[in-house]
Amino acid sequence: MISDKPVILCVDDEENPLILRKLVLEKAGYEVVTSTSARSAVEIVSSRHVDLVLSDHLMPGAIGTELARQIKANHPTIPVILLSGVNEIPADAGAVDVFLSKAEGPERLCEKIAAALAEYRKPRSTP
Amino acid sequence: MSVNPKVNILMVDDQPAKLLSYEVILSELGENLIKATSGREALEYLLKTDVAVVLMDVSMPELNGFELADMIRQHPRFQKTAIIFISAVHLTDLDRLKGYERGAVDYISVPVIPELLRAKVSVFAELHRKARQLETLNRQLEERVLQRTAEIRELNSELQQRVAELETIMQVLPMGVAVAHDPECRFITGNAALSDLMGMKQGDNLLKSGDGELPYDIYQNGQKLQPGEFPVQRAAANRELVGTVELEVRRRDGQMAHVLASANPLFDDSGQIRGAVGVFFDVTERKSLEDILRERAELLDLASEAIVVHDSAGILSFWNSGAEALYGWKREEVLGEDINRILRTGFPVPQKEVEAPLAAAGRWEGNLTHYTRDGRELIVASRQALKLGSRGRSVILEINRDITAQLQAEEALRRAERLGAMGRVAGIIAHEINNPLEAISNAFYLLRDHPSLDEEARYYARLAEQELARVAHITRQTLSFYRESQYPVSVAISEVLDNVLELQSRRVQLNGIILEKVYRTAGIIQGFPVELKQVFLNIVGNAIQAMPQGGRLRVRVYECIEPSTGRQGVRASVCDTGSGIDPEHAKRLFEPFFTTKETKGTGLGLWISKGIIQKYEGTIRFRSLRFAREHATCFSVFIPGTAFGQKQELTVSLAAS
Repeated sequence: MISDKPVILCVDDEENPLILRKLVLEKAGYEVVTSTSARSAVEIVSSRHVDLVLSDHLMPGAIGTELARQIKANHPTIPVILLSGVNEIPADAGAVDVFLSKAEGPERLCEKIAAALAEYRKPRSTP
Repeated sequence: MSVNPKVNILMVDDQPAKLLSYEVILSELGENLIKATSGREALEYLLKTDVAVVLMDVSMPELNGFELADMIRQHPRFQKTAIIFISAVHLTDLDRLKGYERGAVDYISVPVIPELLRAKVSVFAELHRKARQLETLNRQLEERVLQRTAEIRELNSELQQRVAELETIMQVLPMGVAVAHDPECRFITGNAALSDLMGMKQGDNLLKSGDGELPYDIYQNGQKLQPGEFPVQRAAANRELVGTVELEVRRRDGQMAHVLASANPLFDDSGQIRGAVGVFFDVTERKSLEDILRERAELLDLASEAIVVHDSAGILSFWNSGAEALYGWKREEVLGEDINRILRTGFPVPQKEVEAPLAAAGRWEGNLTHYTRDGRELIVASRQALKLGSRGRSVILEINRDITAQLQAEEALRRAERLGAMGRVAGIIAHEINNPLEAISNAFYLLRDHPSLDEEARYYARLAEQELARVAHITRQTLSFYRESQYPVSVAISEVLDNVLELQSRRVQLNGIILEKVYRTAGIIQGFPVELKQVFLNIVGNAIQAMPQGGRLRVRVYECIEPSTGRQGVRASVCDTGSGIDPEHAKRLFEPFFTTKETKGTGLGLWISKGIIQKYEGTIRFRSLRFAREHATCFSVFIPGTAFGQKQELTVSLAAS
């Protein structure tokens, strides 16, 4: 492991929200890798270490749930959190760990990320 | 006729002096005295007047007394006229006198003794008077006898005419008539109609037939009657009227007839029974018509629609079971009453515009407002038809179908569609805002503690962040249908409520609200805690806001069965003694963007709560009572679920494994 900080892959097609989200997460003490498309995100996950994927749900090309499925297919131990503005959980959300409204705010976002990381770290510590 | 009419006394003498003396003697009698001085004159008087007694002198020059008497006697009218001779007594005269003995003859010898003369004349006068009276009476009697005889003759012929008429009537009468001619009813004849009905020849004894067996049987209520039980026989035997009975005549040729029969005994002048008459009315056709009508009426009663018949003034003559069920009025309560008064009919158009097409085209269709007996308002689809009745009176047939529920459902659907449309718009807007909102929130979050900012700039950033929180609050409310997890978990409603109450505990304390918790059950259902928390945060929050001056807040959780659907589930209710709900607001309470809190509310809380509860297939409802001093508002949430005993445990254990 290069650094102690957990690595978060942040995916969003919009540049400003992506940058701001990255800054918030970095301030919260995470190392942040960004990607502006689901396709490049999948490449990043397979090419380097990532502890958690935080992705926008509605993106051009593959949407968040599709991305989650692709990641879980090869990396079932990486938690996937989707940030969503929609008011319904999509039917194919089986691969997603947490859905989070964009209106929840930065503090709640950080709480959820921490909780998800803790959840995934537990089983890893048992063996 | 006076009691004692005067009679005429004819006095005949050629000597006026004698006449004068008789007159003096007889004047006491008070009769009419006529004087004649010769036989000729006497005859003239006799012919002219009715003379009771002739008093005559025997010896007269021209025509002596005997000669005059002979002449008088020859006339038949005078054969019985009394004659008194006045003369000296000669033997020869006495013999002659005997010849007149048949008639009333007397004599008085001279010298005349006045008392004797008066007595004899008076006797004859009286005799004559009596004879005259008798004659008059006789004549009158004869006249009366003649008159009576004529009257009787007239009566008799009239009677004969009547009898002939009656017989004719009997023969052409469509009703059967039987006459028993003896008290034992051995011989009974029928008129044409009855003989025909029984299958017999007219004039035959209805109780006898050629081969000994009657061509018909009579049944009452399905039981065969013996001849002694027939109405005519019973009337004669019991000497009393037999009221109308319903009989069935079954003929051997297979024909059958329903008849109504009644019978009356016949008595002779001395009051002895002498027979009986019976009347038989064939109602076979009417009976089959009645059957058809009864079937129709049963059909009408099977209809769930209200079917009624009334005249043009609204007076009801028919009211089926459907009408009883729909309106709650029993048939006997409304027949004869005005339908529009009973049902307080509300017409969509002036009543004239209903009556005009009814009169013109005989039909009208439209919706009417009616009130049930217990005051419920109904909207019915009404179809009316005008029919001309058999007696020239027109009747209106009216069929009403209750469409209240249908209209309400349509209204609810329209409202739901409107809400849905508004919700979609709200969702889209909120979603479009959410994306930049997140970015801005993040920016201010980063800015808040940025070291390069001085105190004032940080203050501005904080203000901006607070206002941003309000925007986030709205969009979160709008879009908060999201769930953090995809699968429902076991949630205890009581825990959710405790959680909410803890969050609100400061406000409860500040407002001086007395809190009362009644948890009859933990209220475990399968669901998403965040959603449920949002629902109760809204409801409890509203209740607390409604009591700024304090009050009581009662929170209850209990298991129940929903009365309208019979589903089991958990009900949680939140009641407050706050400001109550304006009835005008009540209808719009669950609409999006409806708020009574002016700037403080988003107007989305209850709308979202309702949406959440509907996803659980539950219901949310409220009741607000406003009294003079205090109001009470109660929100109640029902969530169906198998939160009972073993089944619940089973679900939990399955989820755990």
